[in-house]
Amino acid sequence: MDPPVADPRPARFEAVYRETYGLITAYAARRCDSPQDAADVVAETFTIAWRRLDDLPPGPEALLWLYGVARNVLANHRRGEARRRARDTELDAEMADLYAARPDGGVELGAIAEAFRALPGDDRELLALVAWEGLDRAEVARVLGVSRNAVRVRLHRARRRLARALATAGVPTTESRLVPTERSL
Amino acid sequence: MKDIDRLDAALRPLARVTPGTPPAGASGAGARSLLATILAEDPAREPSDAAARPRPARRYPVRRFALGAAAAAAIATGIVAGPGLLSGATPSYAVSKDADGVVYVTIRDFTDPGGLRRQLRDLDVPAIVDYAPPGRWCREPRGEHVADIPAGLYSVPENIPGEEHGNGWRMRIDTKLFRPGETFVWTISDNSTSTILMRGPVSPCVLIPSTNNMIRTMPPSLPPELDKVATHVATVKGGSLAGFRVDEKTVGEVLPELRRRGLRVEFVLMAIAQGNPGGYGVLGVRKKPVGDDWIVWEANEDRPSNGVVQLLVTKERYDRNPVYAGPRDAIIKE
Repeated sequence: MDPPVADPRPARFEAVYRETYGLITAYAARRCDSPQDAADVVAETFTIAWRRLDDLPPGPEALLWLYGVARNVLANHRRGEARRRARDTELDAEMADLYAARPDGGVELGAIAEAFRALPGDDRELLALVAWEGLDRAEVARVLGVSRNAVRVRLHRARRRLARALATAGVPTTESRLVPTERSL
Repeated sequence: MKDIDRLDAALRPLARVTPGTPPAGASGAGARSLLATILAEDPAREPSDAAARPRPARRYPVRRFALGAAAAAAIATGIVAGPGLLSGATPSYAVSKDADGVVYVTIRDFTDPGGLRRQLRDLDVPAIVDYAPPGRWCREPRGEHVADIPAGLYSVPENIPGEEHGNGWRMRIDTKLFRPGETFVWTISDNSTSTILMRGPVSPCVLIPSTNNMIRTMPPSLPPELDKVATHVATVKGGSLAGFRVDEKTVGEVLPELRRRGLRVEFVLMAIAQGNPGGYGVLGVRKKPVGDDWIVWEANEDRPSNGVVQLLVTKERYDRNPVYAGPRDAIIKE
């Protein structure tokens, strides 16, 4: 038998998978109401990544690229167009663990959550990428596929809207000067 | 800036998975199963042509201990099937003893066992050391094998600190734990070492022809299955499974990749001693499939490959990889 030809692709994919699985999982869990949906998003995201492995950028950029894919997958799910992947229920179970640990923060957190949910989806995503995934402006720009300047402007607006909503809800987290002034990130 | 920080801080507790916490690992059953499912799917395009050319085989200090027939009962025999131990590094061996009676035996070259024998004797380690040249082995039985080996008497051979990539290894022996009349019987050849704890008189080594050293050290009742176990790791560079890790996956996760690479499979059924001290025995080698949920610890093959990959499997999952007495990454670096 001829010596088998080693395909470097599975190894590369697996390395990226190991590196990013937890972060993509967290991303999905933070945005989906049910563990099953989150599991679908994770599975679909990595399946797309495998099919488009040649497009997957190297190094830390891979994570941002995957966030972008996950975001699109999520959008498709929300539109109800995604097919449900056949998969092991084990993934659902692991997701459920993440959901079990959901913080429950009482009245004040409820008010913040309400204000946040009332924002437009694009605002929420921008704010979440910064506050939850801990991305900086340049990284957010990568995920969303827009310019840094666009991120700066949109983020500023999103924050202003959130601050207003919080002020309206009377959330006392921000002392008196809640509305951000014109400042860069 | 403070306002912005406060806004972020207000949002952070809303996250279902708290920001900044260590992410979930990809080692859970669901994560591994998903990975296998995805990889089993052929991507639309052809694999890139950056195919790695087979490289010269490199052997790693895989710690293969052969266990007796009643493997779970006791490790009566320890065999280190290591790399060629003829590295020529000096000193070829070193023995040191600390105050509480623990001896460290460091071995890089076994071709001159005389010095090792003398040093062990000087340090009050009751040991017999014999060298078996290629194709020869000491005739068994030479004495009564001790079945109830004291826990902690000797350690699984480990890397020599600072020489993680070397061929040598180090072994810890607690001399306080020897009971009267017990002797550590070492038989050393160029590529394996057996360490057997015996009780009472031990007859001298009578060299007899041997096609496979390891079989000769087995109790007569054990089928010569070890002879069928391939000796090269298939998942390293130059191997048939280069670039694909099998360790700690399930059989169901591994088989699609073997099929994709056009490899045939055999299963090496491993025996693990109680407490999984590191090392394994071989209960059998077979082509008949095992369950998809069995655990794979490594893949071996002959070199050059004959198109058959052997998966080293157990039915149960263990807390650490018996082949490497811990994570594979601690042994194989590439």
